[in-house]
Formats: sequence, structure tokens, C-alpha cells
Amino acid sequence: MDAPSARGYLRRPMPSAPAAAAARVLDLDGVRTHTLGNGLRIRLLADPSAPTLSYYTFFQVGSRNERLGTTGISHLFEHMMFNGAARYGPKEFDRVLESRGGHSNAYTSNDVTAYYEDFASDALETVVDLESDRMRSLRLTDESLEQEREVVKEERRLRTENSVFGLMEEQLESLVFLAHPYRWPVIGWMDDIERITRADCEAFFRTYYAPGNAAIYAVGDLDPDRTMALLERHYGDIPAGPAPGPVPQGEPPQRGERRAVVRYPAHAPALLAGWRAPPGKSPDAAALDVLQVCLAVGESSRLRRSMVQEAEVAVSVAMSWGWRIDPGVFVAFVELAPKASGEAAEAMLWREIEKVATRGVTAAEVARARALLRSSVLHELATHHGVAHALGQAEALLGDWREAGRSLEHYAAVGPRDVRRVAREVLDPSRRSVVTLEPELGT
Amino acid sequence: MSAAKAGGSAPIPLPPIHRERLPNGLSVIVAERPGVPLAAGRLVLRGGSSLDPPGRSGLAHLVALAARRGTRRRTGPEIDLFVESLGAELGAGVDEDATYFGLSAPVEVLPRCVDVLADVSSAPIFPAAEVQRLRRREVAALAHDLDEPGVVADRAMLAAAYRDHPYAHSPEGRSADLERVRRLDVAGFHARHYRPSDAVLVVVGKVSAAEALRVVRRRFGAWAGPEGGTPPLPPPPPMEPAVVVVDKPDVTQTQVRIASPGFARGSPDYFRGIVASALLGGGFTSRLMEAIRVNRGLSYGVRSRFAASGAGGIYVVSTFTKVETTADIVQVTLDEAARFRDGGPTEEELERTRSYLCGLFPLSLETHDQLAEKLADLALYGLPDAEITDFRDRVRAVTAEECREAAARYFPLARRVVVAVGPAKRIAKALERFGPVKVVPARKVV
Repeated sequence: MDAPSARGYLRRPMPSAPAAAAARVLDLDGVRTHTLGNGLRIRLLADPSAPTLSYYTFFQVGSRNERLGTTGISHLFEHMMFNGAARYGPKEFDRVLESRGGHSNAYTSNDVTAYYEDFASDALETVVDLESDRMRSLRLTDESLEQEREVVKEERRLRTENSVFGLMEEQLESLVFLAHPYRWPVIGWMDDIERITRADCEAFFRTYYAPGNAAIYAVGDLDPDRTMALLERHYGDIPAGPAPGPVPQGEPPQRGERRAVVRYPAHAPALLAGWRAPPGKSPDAAALDVLQVCLAVGESSRLRRSMVQEAEVAVSVAMSWGWRIDPGVFVAFVELAPKASGEAAEAMLWREIEKVATRGVTAAEVARARALLRSSVLHELATHHGVAHALGQAEALLGDWREAGRSLEHYAAVGPRDVRRVAREVLDPSRRSVVTLEPELGT
Repeated sequence: MSAAKAGGSAPIPLPPIHRERLPNGLSVIVAERPGVPLAAGRLVLRGGSSLDPPGRSGLAHLVALAARRGTRRRTGPEIDLFVESLGAELGAGVDEDATYFGLSAPVEVLPRCVDVLADVSSAPIFPAAEVQRLRRREVAALAHDLDEPGVVADRAMLAAAYRDHPYAHSPEGRSADLERVRRLDVAGFHARHYRPSDAVLVVVGKVSAAEALRVVRRRFGAWAGPEGGTPPLPPPPPMEPAVVVVDKPDVTQTQVRIASPGFARGSPDYFRGIVASALLGGGFTSRLMEAIRVNRGLSYGVRSRFAASGAGGIYVVSTFTKVETTADIVQVTLDEAARFRDGGPTEEELERTRSYLCGLFPLSLETHDQLAEKLADLALYGLPDAEITDFRDRVRAVTAEECREAAARYFPLARRVVVAVGPAKRIAKALERFGPVKVVPARKVV
């Protein structure tokens, strides 16, 4: 029941390796796929190395599918999914699952809503029963809506209103995007959270939680034939739903830097910058990953060395470039030293980026980035949970689950010239948005 | 699949584990494990932030960070570049009981990374410029911590619960203390406390144990530390009830911590404690989650845990709520703790919670890093591997009566501290019902 953390250092999904080691890290030949008559996609991968299973349900809906006035409904609705359906009533979902030794959670992003259960493999039937029950016949009551509304407001107070990063991030996205729904926060505006009605939720469920808008990924100790039959039996007769409407794409070109200031009683200044970047399935996505690592992942990255270690203007520097369905945002976040000059720090950040855009990076820097990305991919694919999530994320964001196993090939194809080119094209000063935190005197 | 078997009842298997003690006293543990071609290394030295001298809180933490900023063979930036170019990560840190160096590396470069690990832990030279720079960065980072209400709450809770015991400060220390730290303090701490005879090195991954042990012997064998051993810590003093408000005038949500006396890591109450804690504030179906989130919508989250350290421990409930309902959430928590003590868990609740804990436990050992951390902790606290393999039996053996006893002994009933980080003007008065309120400015905490 989490909104995604926007503070990741490395994008979670996929990773890479030196050309020689570009062998597949994930054997996807064994993935069994099927689409039910109602449109539900199923992908199964048997791996008996541990007697556990991870079961992911991805719905192709996130804040990008929302409208002003009901922003945050994707996330609020995610909470509602735990409040009872026809066969398993209120409070039963987690009770039944926990009594079988399982654990469940979910998250909502700009693009997707994903639910998972991790459990001992002998609980598979119970999990399928629980998940299909709520996809078929979720029960939405006024009482549970009011309760979850309060919970979500607390979540918003936690992550946004009382968080320096949260306050700044909300400003940044609204600067980077003028027209696209990425301009509002995943958790929604407080006023909209207050306003969402049960009828809104019911309409939302009919459209976005229909089987044709969903996919299931089960990875672990399972028998593919029996599991496929089990899923067919439980989900096969859930009626298909209407096709979701299109997402507005008319983002106008940016013709100059955009800025915002957040004044807050903080003890130290901070700087957040963002550039509109290509969609995740762009051929440049891998080069942007490499750029991110060259600039800000690890102590020997350019920005950590220059801003944190040498000039000491910053306490930390992080970049995040999360792959999205539509053109997303490449972000730099700098926590400044309390007495550092914000202008000087900003100038240094722009200078370092410009150096990469004009002179590029070395082959050694690219090799280092590939090595780190490869380890990151291996870490992700080390668990059933990680593999199931990688498959789902690849299909939801890139349109093909097979991409989960291809990241190393993509990284191997990135060279220094690609890195320089994407730095020049994407991190263009006239297309950046900047949010500065100005500490106010106070506590 | 009978109900009794639900959630897994089989013993937890461990991969083949090889142990060796080097002539210099270093304990080495190697676990050979299939899976992704990565390896985890973890060096644990007994003694962490509780060894910080008076007026020098944060020193042990700074020593661990500074150790990787230069050796006779490599400068700090060279170490960074070397490790990262191999696709590896080398981290360092401390908690109240120990100092940690963590390594995560592609298995094929493990020997080269172990070499660096040995170098930074046993032979750092602490270049003055690097030490001073790190010290400045740590002080600056504390200013950012001050803007995180949850971090402020955790720190204030340790101070209120442990008072003048060495566990009372967070490993990162206080700004005023760090400002005073000099290079000599750092080098002296290392010379006094980093000793192989009080350390354990764990390696887990797709490695050959023979090969890994050979590399470790070669790289760590020559490490000579100071004589003697890490001094034992006295147990914490009895907890003094307190209500502390850390004033943050501008927040719209109060961070709440409620702490009561707990137990040391080696306590025989450990298993009944974790079951009782899971029942009160564990998963999504715990008593507190239901009372606070599901029934009242007071918070997004609430959690309880035993923070069990070497010389003692505390039991902590962590939550947060909008400023207006600060006293309510404390009251509900205390009421639920009392209700649990009086009635204990139902059989259904107990069975569900035991299954939940038993089912989840293998997932907490899934990655090489997780298993390395677990094995290192067991070694640090002198606990047997059976704590892993017999985990399910031990959890399943916990009875409702034992949970009730654990609640009576440890839950926040009579002796407790309540910490609230929020606008004092708006919350202090309402909190007076829990005891005399002491208001402190946030700056005093960091």
C-alpha cells in the first residue's frame, strides 16, 4: 500500500554487463504465457530452487489515467482493494493470507498499480482464490472509503507535506509537465482525495480493474500446467470490461528554464532539477541509465566527487531516471551543505552536466557504469519476487515482458558517444525545471 | 495440507557452512550457496557507537566511514573507483554494538574486493584532510536529519529511554560532539578497538569455500590488532517514565514513539517476544494496525518491535498521525497494549501470527546479503545457527500464556517513555494525561 519512493538511486527494473558478459541473466525460455478469453494475460515461470512463490497482479492504470478533480484515485483505490469482496469479506484478505504464511502489499505509480503476495508454494490455491475474488467482485462501501480516505491523507502528510523532498518533488513535476497527467502527484491533491466518491471508485473499478487491463506473473516453485488450469478456472469467467480511454499526450514543447521556490522551515537548503525525458521504451533509455550512473551513482561518480568530496557544497547528490510509459522525467536531487551558496552549487551542477554534453565521458566510465548496472540487475533477479516484478514492469512499461531479460544487451550496446548525445539532447539547459528549497527561519 | 502445516513447518535449511578461526583470532564463516553470481561479504567488529567516548558521540561511525578514505596502498578516491569499476559496493557503518563493513560483489571479483576490505579495515591511514572533510559532511548531514521528523523522533526516543547509558545516542552522533572530533581521536579509536580477535568475517554466495577461505587467510592473516578485548557494557539503567515533546512548530503530522524496557539479544524471552510483538504491531492484521488504521483511520502505519541489543533492549511502537489526534493515537496504543496484557491473544490470532512469522522467515534469508547479515549477527551475539534452522519450531512452541506474560513484562504499561515530534503549542497539553511533559527544541536532539 505504498506510493513509490521517488528517491531511488538506481532504477529498480533492469540492468547490464560488459559486452563479453552480455549473456542472459534470466532464462526466459521457460516462461509460459496465455491470454484468457476475457483478456487477462498470464505469465508463469517455474523455478523450484526455493519452495516459495511470488504472485504479482499488474493493472495497467496509474495517475496518468486520472483527471483533475479526482487525482489520486488510482492510489486511493489501491487501498480499497484490501477491504473485502464477495467471498472474502472486510479484513479477511490479509488474515487468510497471513494464516497461510503469506505476505501481501501493493504500490501505485504514475503508470501502473501492482499487487503482490509472497508465500510458501503450498498456499498458491488460497492466493489465487483471494486475488480472483477481489478482481471479480470487490465490495466498495462508504464506510471503508471514508476510513481509507483518512489513511491516505495521513500518507500524504507523511510523504509530501512534512517531507522536504516530497514538497519539492510535487513542485517539480508540475513544472516539467503542463498538460500531461504526470504533472500531478501519484497520491493526488489533498482536495481531490477529500472529494473522490464511491461512485467514482465503482466506475474506476469497472474500467481499470477489468481482466483485459491486467496481467498476472507467478514465479517460483509451481507446476506450469496445473497453475495455468487453476488460473483459468478462477479467472476465466470474470466478464471483460470496457476499453480504458486514451491518456492526453499534448505536452507542448518547453522553450526556456522553469523555476519554483519552496520556502519551508528547513535547516538546510536543497535543489531539485528535472528534464523531460523519452519514454522507457525509447532506444535511448539504456544510455540514460548509463549517464545516470556516470554522473551520480557511487562515490566515484562525477557529481559525488565534484560536489560532495571536492567542493563540499553538497551532502548528497542523487539522480533518478525512472522509465515511464510516456515521456518521463530525469531528476537530480542535491542536499546542500547548510552554509553553501545555492547559486554556486547550482552553477557547479550545470557545469558538470555541460562537460558531459560537450566532451562526453570516457570508455572507463562507461565500463564502470555497466558493471554497476549489471550487479543491480543481478540483485533484482536474485529473488522470485524480483523476477516476477521485473516481468510485470517490463510488460507494463515497455510493452513486452521479454525486455526483463534484455537489459544487459541494451547496456552493452551503449558507448561513450551515446552518453554524450543523450546528455546533450535530454539535459538541455533551456529545457530544465528547477526547484530550490529556501530555509525559512523557524525551529 | 492441514491447517497445522500452514505457513511452513519444515526446518529452515542452511547451505553448507565452513568455519575457521585464523591464528590472529579472526572468525571466518563461509556459506556456499547457488543462485545469482554475486557474493556478499560482511566484516563485523565487536564495538560500535556505545564505545564513543563522552563528548565524542558519532566517533565510531566516523571511524568506520574514514577507514575507507585511504590506506598505505590506495587513496580514498582510488578505493572508490577500484571497487565500483568491478561492479561492487563497499559500505561501512556502525550500530550500538558493532562496526560493519559490507561488501556486495560479482563473484568473479570477490578476491580483489576482499583484498580492499582487508586493507581498509586493518590498515587505514586516516588522511587528515579526508577525516576533516567527512566530519564536515556528517555535521551537514545532521542538519538534513533535523528536517526529517521520523529521524528526530527515533533519536529523541533513544535519549529518553536510555538516558545516560551509551545506547542513548544514535550512531551518527550529535553535531556539537562531531565538531570537536580530531584526526587523532579517529586514529586512536581504530588503534584501540579494531582487533581481529573480536571480529567475524562472513562470506556468502556462489563461491567455493576452499577458494574463499584461501583468499581470506591470505588477506586477513597478517592483521594484528591491539591486545585485550572489547570492554563489556553495563546493562541500561531502569527506564524512567517520561513524556517528551520535541517541538517542530510547522509540521501537520506528529511522529510518535512509545518505548518500554525490553530485553538483550540473548534473552530466553526472544521468541515469545517476537510473537507477542507481531500480534500487537506486526503485519497488516495486528491489533494496533486494526485499532489505529483500519478502525479509526488515525494513521497510515504503525509498527512495534523489540530493539534487542547486546547489553539490553527496548520495546518500541512507532507511528504518526495528524497533529489534532496526537493524544488519541497514544491512548489507543496504550489501551491496546493493556487489553493484550489482560486477555492475551485468541487461538486463531496466535495461530495466524505464528504462520505469518514462519512463512515469512525464509524470505528474510533469500539473498546472499541477507544471509550474511544473519550469520554475522548470530556470531556477534554468540547465538547458534539453530536459531535459524529451528526458527519455526521455536515460534510454533510459543503459547498464548507466554505471549501474555511477555506483554505484562515488556509492553508499555507502567514504565514507558512517550515521544512526540510536533508543534508543542498544539500537542503538549493533551499529552499531559500520560505524565509530566518535557518540551525540547528539535535542535537539542541533533
